[in-house]
Amino acid sequence: MAAAGGVSSDDVPILQAENLTSNVKSIYYSRTFLSIIGGVVAGIWGFTGLMGFVFYFLIMMVASIGLLAKSKFSVQTYFDSWNRILIEGVFGGLMSFVLFWSYPLMMI
Amino acid sequence: MAEELVLDTAIRDWVLIPLSVVMVLIGVLRYFVSKLMRSPAASPSPDPKLVREGSVIYSSSLPPIPSRSVPRQVVIRARNLRTNVQFIPAKAFKARKAYYTNEENGLLHVPKEDAQKAQAAMFSDPNMAMDMMKKNLSMIVPQTLTFAWVNFFFSGFVAAKIPFPLTQRFRGMLQNGIDLSTVDVSYVSSRSWYFLNLFGLRGLFSLILGEENATDDAQKMMQMGGGFGFNPTMSLGAEKDSLVIIQHDWALPKMERHAEDVLRKLLKK
Repeated sequence: MAAAGGVSSDDVPILQAENLTSNVKSIYYSRTFLSIIGGVVAGIWGFTGLMGFVFYFLIMMVASIGLLAKSKFSVQTYFDSWNRILIEGVFGGLMSFVLFWSYPLMMI
Repeated sequence: MAEELVLDTAIRDWVLIPLSVVMVLIGVLRYFVSKLMRSPAASPSPDPKLVREGSVIYSSSLPPIPSRSVPRQVVIRARNLRTNVQFIPAKAFKARKAYYTNEENGLLHVPKEDAQKAQAAMFSDPNMAMDMMKKNLSMIVPQTLTFAWVNFFFSGFVAAKIPFPLTQRFRGMLQNGIDLSTVDVSYVSSRSWYFLNLFGLRGLFSLILGEENATDDAQKMMQMGGGFGFNPTMSLGAEKDSLVIIQHDWALPKMERHAEDVLRKLLKK
């Protein structure tokens, strides 16, 4: 991740659009990767019903915390808003999660 | 709720696994085919650096109707002005604003008849239409073929079970192709499994194929502004409006204080 910008004491955001897009992209990739791996894990552990979705959102929360740690707890340095870390790519990954969740369940 | 169905393992071996493997492979194939088709068609595009800087190349050989890339670059320039507006003094901003949004000859102002002409020119430009068609073809043809294949070989039986219960409303979506109202909704027909794959594998493709992925093209097109390329009139107008309403706030007077803060912070370390 590259610093997309710093924020001065007054609210003059200085953002570099390219770095921001690359950061958002890396979030998207990590989320997608996690949703696929999480789906496989959920399938192997045999979660069904609501439990799987709880598991998914738990993973996404852990991912958010991980991203927060990666950005050294200063979100404003790397992203333009908190939503990027919290919800970017969560719903896009849900479909992949469901697919890869049902794979192992059928294999077993 | 209906009793548990036992799905034949032969279904798993001969339907689900082949279907998924074929879909992944077709996705990869489509990526490479579209890459192949794109590379010779890559017309001498303007220097990427120039495009990024947003400088317009007005050459004398330019036809009276603005070519396809010029309005786009004007839009980029205006957008750059808008994002960096706090770094120039008020007077400079006013001058630039007048330059862009003047009602008579501003850069972002498009006269009515001119707009129509540009539109017509864009539609008659065969190169662009060809480009679009290639892109669309590389999307649609494999999808149609796969769907036809699935329909032909694997239609009309329950193929899989998704691990969560759903309401009756989802029956049409998930049990496309079987007309049994007693089967639990979480059983998926093969045709619907195809759709589930289609959407679910998108994430996998973006991981294994890298960023410029063929499946992302649809998204990109939408961002560029509509299916048939980019509508210069509309984006010019939108950019003009947002430039008109922008509030100018010069940041540099506060910069000294900011610099002081930064230096003090450095000293403390």
